Amino acid sequence: MSTDLETFDFIPLQIDPKSKAISAAPPQQASSSKALETELAALNALHKSLHSLEAPHLVPPPPVPVNPKRSANLNKLRESGNAEYRKQRYAEAVKFYTLGLQMALTRPHWEPSQLVREEVHALYSNRAQAHMQLGNWPEAAVDAEASVEAKRQGNAKAWFRRGRCLVEMGRLAEAREWVARGLEFEGEEKELIELLKEIDGKMEEEKGKRDA
Amino acid sequence: MFDVNWRGLLLPLAYLAVLVGTFMTFSTVYRKRKAMQSANLAPWFGPHLQRNIYLSLLHMEPEEGSEKAPKVPDSVIRAALLRRAVEDIHRIIQIRTAKAACSSLLQRGSVGDDLWQRFQRAEKEMEEELRDVVMEANALVPGWGQIIFQSANEIAANKALRDRLEEIEAQTERDKEWWEKRRASIKREFMKELDEESSEKAQVKAGSEDEPVLVDTDTPSATPSGASKKKKGKK
Repeated sequence: MSTDLETFDFIPLQIDPKSKAISAAPPQQASSSKALETELAALNALHKSLHSLEAPHLVPPPPVPVNPKRSANLNKLRESGNAEYRKQRYAEAVKFYTLGLQMALTRPHWEPSQLVREEVHALYSNRAQAHMQLGNWPEAAVDAEASVEAKRQGNAKAWFRRGRCLVEMGRLAEAREWVARGLEFEGEEKELIELLKEIDGKMEEEKGKRDA
Repeated sequence: MFDVNWRGLLLPLAYLAVLVGTFMTFSTVYRKRKAMQSANLAPWFGPHLQRNIYLSLLHMEPEEGSEKAPKVPDSVIRAALLRRAVEDIHRIIQIRTAKAACSSLLQRGSVGDDLWQRFQRAEKEMEEELRDVVMEANALVPGWGQIIFQSANEIAANKALRDRLEEIEAQTERDKEWWEKRRASIKREFMKELDEESSEKAQVKAGSEDEPVLVDTDTPSATPSGASKKKKGKK
């Protein structure tokens, strides 16, 4: 183990002359560990993404300020999605939101993760809403959960949407747990409290049915 | 007067010699053992794979048949250094979270002294590692040292976020399948109920077959949700 700063463990590597991809050298290849392989894959991916840097930069610039081009495109996609939604063309809205998500998630990794969270949570939440209009409960539930993952606080809509979807799918216990957790994050949010009450009522009802 | 009685002094002198000798052997042996112990302490972190890769790339060996070592382009070296910085960020986070826990455990005597020693050594090594990365970065691209860790930090955070989102999205297929099955079973039950009902009053109503289909496209718990759905649509 290389605890010394002067030494390191030499790893026989080779480089593909054309693609410049790094891989473990042949004698090692068979025995090369999985960790090494995944790390080399990550290295090659990063190397490739470094090529997308614009001309004067050899290395990633500081995270802020951000190149505004992608943000503008993203906003445009979200706006078109919202417009389709307002026209009640939900399937089209889902398509726009999905495109927006793809664009947000392929943002280079050295750009601020906080910005990605902001963009992604709105898109996921909107897509969940559109899915709900289409009655695609599982997709909507997953999207709302992703939205919450990107932004826990101040995202009451997404908490509510997943809760609603779980109720629609009849997963009441899960829904109750989820909404209760949402209330912890969001404080006294009217919509969530109402939903919680509704869930409790339904659970009572089911219990009554089972007992009967 | 100065006639020393050497014979009489022999015994105390021998005693002194033995005493000093014992002390000295004890102290050397003790110190050696102590040094051995701290040298044998397991390192806090495993081998630094990214660092090894980076340094291995700098010291590429010539391939068989050719004299010169293959030329590694600078962009690859830069990417490798950035990967190394990202791993350092992970380690810094680990050290920071472990520090508070470690010191409070040590104060309470719940952990041994050697754990604390290992920890402190890891901290010191980490500092040197960071300095080394900054120096290497500055050598590769002037001024990069100031921002490489900012970039690495974002890369680490972004990777974590995307992994989490992927994990969540991976549920979709499973959930969808489950929902299809469940919906089918609900439909079947519904049909059965309807069949029972319709057999009771079969003579009254004949064309009730197409009605259940309409209801089924909606949700299992369709009755109370209809109102709220309309409300949501306006948001």
